[in-house]
Amino acid sequence: MNNENFDLENMRQQMTTLKNKLNQQEIISDRLVRRSMKNEVNTIARRYYIIMAVGLFMVPYGYWCFVILGGLSIFFWIVTSIFMLVCAGATYYTLRKINDPNMMNRNLVEASRRVASAKKFEANWLFFGIPAVVVWFAWFMYEAYQIHGGALSNGFFWGGCIGGIIGAICGLSLNFRTQRQFQEIIDQIEDLTEYDK
Amino acid sequence: MTTLERQFAQTVAEHKSTIYTVCYMFSQDADEVNDLFQEVLVNLWKGFESFEHRSDIRTWIYRVALNTCISLDRKKKRAAEVRLTMDINLFEDRDEDTKQVDMLHKRISKLQPFDRAIVLLWLENLSYEEIGQIVGITAKNVSVRLFRIREQLKQMSND
Repeated sequence: MNNENFDLENMRQQMTTLKNKLNQQEIISDRLVRRSMKNEVNTIARRYYIIMAVGLFMVPYGYWCFVILGGLSIFFWIVTSIFMLVCAGATYYTLRKINDPNMMNRNLVEASRRVASAKKFEANWLFFGIPAVVVWFAWFMYEAYQIHGGALSNGFFWGGCIGGIIGAICGLSLNFRTQRQFQEIIDQIEDLTEYDK
Repeated sequence: MTTLERQFAQTVAEHKSTIYTVCYMFSQDADEVNDLFQEVLVNLWKGFESFEHRSDIRTWIYRVALNTCISLDRKKKRAAEVRLTMDINLFEDRDEDTKQVDMLHKRISKLQPFDRAIVLLWLENLSYEEIGQIVGITAKNVSVRLFRIREQLKQMSND
């Protein structure tokens, strides 16, 4: 065996050892197989469905909360509802790309490219979402101040600012990590397919 | 159980070690293998009905398993509802055979995901054409990648 092949050939022997060990194992139970057949919606898809449901629910809930309870303007509620619906629409768009039932049957390059681009879209969404929330919050404060005066608005303001800053830091750090992670996958695909171009 | 469900259970039983091997090579611990294995089964079941035997079933299983392992968002771990039934723990046992398997795992884990997939398929004795079909590159490119992987492994051995 020449030296150049040694590593891979040695690994082939180790793979045979692994296979021999696995062939002696039961590994899966009937219960596990049955559960997988019932559990058609995977974890990622479930998360997206929840986000979409919350986005849609916020439309009637926002009317009750902002207009009836808080006395804010109908126009504020309409814009908030549109924002929520746009969020739900963007979530649906990402979900449709990621949860395509045939995606896992595609070759690795094609499937990974689709997942990476969908995840990057999701991460980029924050660059729209964070400024939109800042504008929304400023508007909310303005209307709350007009109706309820300083004392209550101060509470809203500081609570909103602290929550907003913590949320923005968490969101942006997650965003940068996701961007980097999926950019690496895209770079690897480019490197892998360079020879075939 | 319907006929389709029975066929699926049989297919999974026949290819359990193939699925396990892929999940093992993309995991860092036994919990992660369990997690990935369940996710692969869910994805196999989702595509099982539409799989029309246009390609070899083993090729299809590799494709779904590798896609799941490469693409799955590892932050979102599912609760391990049903465990794999293994008398051995490849991450902890210390007999001679398991040490050999662990050595293989360590070497493969150092490679990038696509290279890991290519070398794994090569170790499973698939032809360059079959590897190319699963990964989505030409057979010629597979041989180029394998050459580079071999260089990387040699480098790792020297380090």
